[in-house]
Amino acid sequence: MSHLNAVSTLMVAGSFLIVTLIGFASARWRPAEDLLQLNEWGLGGRGFGTFVSWFLLGGDIYTAYTFIAVPALVYATGAAGFYALSYTIMVFPIVFIFAPRLWSVARAHGYVTPGEFVRGRKGSQGLGLAVAATGILATMPYIALQLVGIESVLTVMGIGSTSGNVFVRDLPLIIAFAVVAGYTYMAGLRAPALIAFVKDILIYVTVIVAILYIPSRIGGWGHIFGAASAHLKTVNPATHKPYGSIVVLPAGEWAYATLALGSALALFVYPHASTGVFAAKRRDVIRRNAAMLPAYTLVLGLIALFGYMARAVPAVNAGVKADGNNPQLSVPLLFAHMFPSWFAGIGYSAIVVGALVPAAIMSIAAANLFTRTIYKELLKPDATPAQETRVARVASLVMKIGALGFALELNKTFSINLQLLGGIWILQTFPAIVISLYTRWFHRSALIFGWAVGMAYGTVQAYRTSGGGQAHFGASAAPVFGHITYIGISALILNVAVAAVLTVIFNRVGVTDGYDQTRPADYRADPVPVPAAANATTRVPFNRRRPGPSAGRAGAPAGGSASSPPWERADSAVADSAADRAADAPAAPAAPAPAAAPGTVPGPRSPAAPSGHHRAKHAR
Amino acid sequence: MAQRARPGKSPAVWGTVTVLLVVAILGTLLVPIYARTLPELGNFPFFYWFQLIWVPTTAVLCWICYLLLKTKPAPDAGLRNGGDVRR
Repeated sequence: MSHLNAVSTLMVAGSFLIVTLIGFASARWRPAEDLLQLNEWGLGGRGFGTFVSWFLLGGDIYTAYTFIAVPALVYATGAAGFYALSYTIMVFPIVFIFAPRLWSVARAHGYVTPGEFVRGRKGSQGLGLAVAATGILATMPYIALQLVGIESVLTVMGIGSTSGNVFVRDLPLIIAFAVVAGYTYMAGLRAPALIAFVKDILIYVTVIVAILYIPSRIGGWGHIFGAASAHLKTVNPATHKPYGSIVVLPAGEWAYATLALGSALALFVYPHASTGVFAAKRRDVIRRNAAMLPAYTLVLGLIALFGYMARAVPAVNAGVKADGNNPQLSVPLLFAHMFPSWFAGIGYSAIVVGALVPAAIMSIAAANLFTRTIYKELLKPDATPAQETRVARVASLVMKIGALGFALELNKTFSINLQLLGGIWILQTFPAIVISLYTRWFHRSALIFGWAVGMAYGTVQAYRTSGGGQAHFGASAAPVFGHITYIGISALILNVAVAAVLTVIFNRVGVTDGYDQTRPADYRADPVPVPAAANATTRVPFNRRRPGPSAGRAGAPAGGSASSPPWERADSAVADSAADRAADAPAAPAAPAPAAAPGTVPGPRSPAAPSGHHRAKHAR
Repeated sequence: MAQRARPGKSPAVWGTVTVLLVVAILGTLLVPIYARTLPELGNFPFFYWFQLIWVPTTAVLCWICYLLLKTKPAPDAGLRNGGDVRR
C-alpha cells in the first residue's frame, strides 16, 4: 500500500473533479431570486421536494465516518458495532414523529435553525444561545471526522503518507477541503444537495458489487461469520477478555439499546439534520422520506458487514496490524485486496465524496446557527438578510478551517473523543428542542439548568470512562446502577429530571417565564407550495389572508428585504395590526418597529402566525 | 387558522399511527428479542438477519403511517383560497 496505485488514484481524482464542477455549477441550479437571503444560501430556498430531500438527508445521516467507523467497530468488537444499524432503523420512526412539527413551526416563523426555535418558543436568549453553542461545538469534531475518513482512504492509496514533510503529507486533504469550502461558500446548501446524487451512485454501486462479489471470493457467508466468530472468541492479551462476540451478550444488551436510542435521538437534534429537514418544500416530504430513507439503512447494515469480510481476509488483517492496529483501515484495505484497482478507485471515491457532502452540510448548519442565534441575536440585531448571508458564508469557512485544524493538528484519538462528547452534548439540547415542540410546561431557566447539569455530568462521566487502551474517553457507555448505559442517555435523564424539579420550584417561587412566540397551530401548519412557474418569482408559503398574488411585491423596491419571501418579510415588516399587538400585550410589549425594513410594505403576513408574536421576536 | 393539515384525522387514525411507530421503534430497541444465533438464515445468524429484515419493515410501517396522515393536496386548498392566489 505504500506505493501509489495509479489507476485508483486517477479514479478518485476524476470523481473529485466531477464533484467539484457540480459543486460550483450548483450555484445556478434552481436559481434563487436573491441568493443573498439566508433562506437561499443556508436552506437551498426551502424548496427541496421528496426526491432531492432523500439524497440530502441521506447525505446528512450516512457520513464517510459512518462508512469507515462502523465496519471498523464491527471488525474490532463484533456485534456491539451493529448498534449503528439498530440506531438508523429507529431514527426514522422518531423523525416521523418529531420532524414535521419542527418543520411547520420553522416555516411559519422563518426559523433557519433549531436555536431560533428555542429562542422563540421559550422566549429565552440564553437558552437559544446554549442550543446554538452546543450545536456548533458538537458539529466541529464531526466535520473533522469526515477528514479522518478521507485520510484513511488516502493512507491505503499511499498518497502523501510516505512523505516525511507534514505539509506535503496533508496537502491532498487541504486541497480537498479548500475546494469544498469554495463551492459551499458560493452555492450554499444547493452544492451538497446536488453532489449527494454522485455520492449515492458511487456508494450504492460499491456496496452492491461488494456484497455480491466479495463473499463468493472468500468462501461465502458461512466462512465470513465463522472467521469473525473465531477471532472474537480469542482473548485479548491487553484486557484478558475476548475481543467481542458475534451476538450481543446479555451484559451488553442494555448498552446496545441505549446507544442505539441515544444516537437516534441525538441525530434529530444535530444542526445538520434539522437543516436537511428545514430545506424540505412540504410537510409531507418529511414523512414520505421517513419511509424511504431506510434504503440507506440497509446499505449501512451491509457496510457494517464489511467489517466481518475484512476479518476473513488475512491480507487485510496484516495491513491493519502494520499500521499500528488501526481498524479504520479495514474497509479501504478490503477494497484494495478484493477489487481490481479501477473498482477499488470507485470504492475510495465513494468514501471521499461521502465525506464531502456531510462536511458541507454540517458547516452550513453551524454557520446558520452562528448567524441567526449569535450574530443577529447578540452582535447586530438589525442585520439585513444580505449581511446575514455574508456572515454565514464566512462562518462556514471558519468552521471548515477549524475542522481542518482539528484533523491535522490534534491527534486522531482526540477528534474521536470529541465526537463522542459531541453526541453526548448535543443530546442535552433534546429537552429544549424536542420536548418544547410538544409542551411549554418546562420553565426556560429550568431548561438551562438541566442542560448545564447534563453537559457537566456527560463530560465528566465520559472523561472517567476508560477503555480501548485509553484511560479517559475510552467508551461512550458507563455503568449506572449496575447497567452499562450510554452516557448521553443517563445525562439526558438527569437533565430532564433537574429541569422538571426546577420548573416546579421556579413556578412556585414565581420566577418570570419567557414569552412564547409560537401558537399551537404553527406546529401543524402546512403551507401550500406554489407551482414551479410562480415559484420563480414569489414563494408563497401560505395561501390564506393573502390579498393578491403579488401585492406584497408590487410596491416594494428591489433589494434585500423587499424580495424576501413573505414569511421572512413578516419577520421584519411593520405589518402587525393593532389587534395583533393587543394579542401579545402582557408579555411582549409592542416594540418599536425595527429599523431594518425601510422598503418593506405592510404586505402579506404569514397567516399561520396570525397574532403579533412576530413582534416579540423583534423586540430583541 | 388556515389549518390545511389534517382537517379532522380521527383519534383512531392517530392511535393506529402511534401503535405502528412504537412497534417500529421497539423492534430493535428490545435487544433480547434478537440477541441470539439461531435460527440462521442463509448462514446469517438470527441477530443479523432479524435486524436487516427490520429495516424494510420499518419502512413499510412508516409508509402506512404516511398514507394514514396524508392530507389532500391542491384541490381543497384552492377552494379554501377563494381563488385569490394564482395557482
